[in-house]
Amino acid sequence: MRFSIDLHNHSCLSPCADDDFYPSILALEAKDKGIDILALCDHNSTENIIAFKEACDLVGITGIYGMEITTIEEVHLLSLFETVEAALDFSEIITESLLKIENNVRLFGHQHIVNVNCDITGEVDYLLYGPSTYSFEYLIGLILSYDGLAIPAHIDRPSNSALANLGFLPTAPYSAIEMIHLDRTYLDGPYPVVQGSDAHTLTHVGRRRTFIEGLRPDFSTLRCALEAHNVSYLT
Amino acid sequence: MANIAKVAEALGYTVVTMKDPERNVSGGYTGDLLSDVMGHAEEDELLITIQGHKNTAAVASLLSLTAIILCNGREALQDMIESAEMEGIAILQTQETQYQASIRLDGVLKALR
Repeated sequence: MRFSIDLHNHSCLSPCADDDFYPSILALEAKDKGIDILALCDHNSTENIIAFKEACDLVGITGIYGMEITTIEEVHLLSLFETVEAALDFSEIITESLLKIENNVRLFGHQHIVNVNCDITGEVDYLLYGPSTYSFEYLIGLILSYDGLAIPAHIDRPSNSALANLGFLPTAPYSAIEMIHLDRTYLDGPYPVVQGSDAHTLTHVGRRRTFIEGLRPDFSTLRCALEAHNVSYLT
Repeated sequence: MANIAKVAEALGYTVVTMKDPERNVSGGYTGDLLSDVMGHAEEDELLITIQGHKNTAAVASLLSLTAIILCNGREALQDMIESAEMEGIAILQTQETQYQASIRLDGVLKALR
């Protein structure tokens, strides 16, 4: 069977996302758009993944849990885990390592923690813009050692990307690389390429996606498909 | 004391936005890592960078910087221009490198003093 995956989405916890872009709304909209495996990866925090898991379970979609980490080089790196527990465990290390500057809501936006009913239950007071004190390559190894997927985000974006900030894509055991525009140079390269929505607002949900083949829409199928480069795209 | 209008004229760079031409310029900070800029740039300085996106305007506003100089011909994204206009931060643009712009700014500020 072919499954539709979207491994890059934010919620109202990310300062740059819409305040009414709740994890439940993300899950509902993704289900509507035919996504089978959906990840929530807010900037440097997993505070909304419990609400996201409950929403995914309710709407009948496979949730993947993680963060979009800002490395010390200010490269964005997706860390994705099979369970909420694994993601929370890993996020403790990242939270401790963050440069914590007080958030200015007017300039950067709210960072709301919400429950599955879209009630605001808290707000992160330091700016989730980052960065961590850990380097890009160290974090790749760290994510993999926690059985997660390590995917450099939007490598072809002109800011906060491996190509823009590092100047090149270092050789490393990435689970995949994410691109906004598919590029033959990378499609023929050593890493599987995925496309994700990087949704910060409702209308972004499902704007980019990737397809994998497998028996069940679960994390193991996802991991195997990536390892086998068994991925395809909207044409 | 140098204001941004005089500094921009002396530099001869393209003015992308300048809502408040009277704002004072005390000096400059050159950097592309915004977390580093946040920790080191100071009020009324010009930020010399290649980062032409909205977060640069937000960081500039947070620190009360007077303007952003975009180097190497980098374009300011539309949301950056809107944000800078709202916060009264000027954006200048040049084909020069950050190194050249830093030297030029230093010369202009000394001449205007």
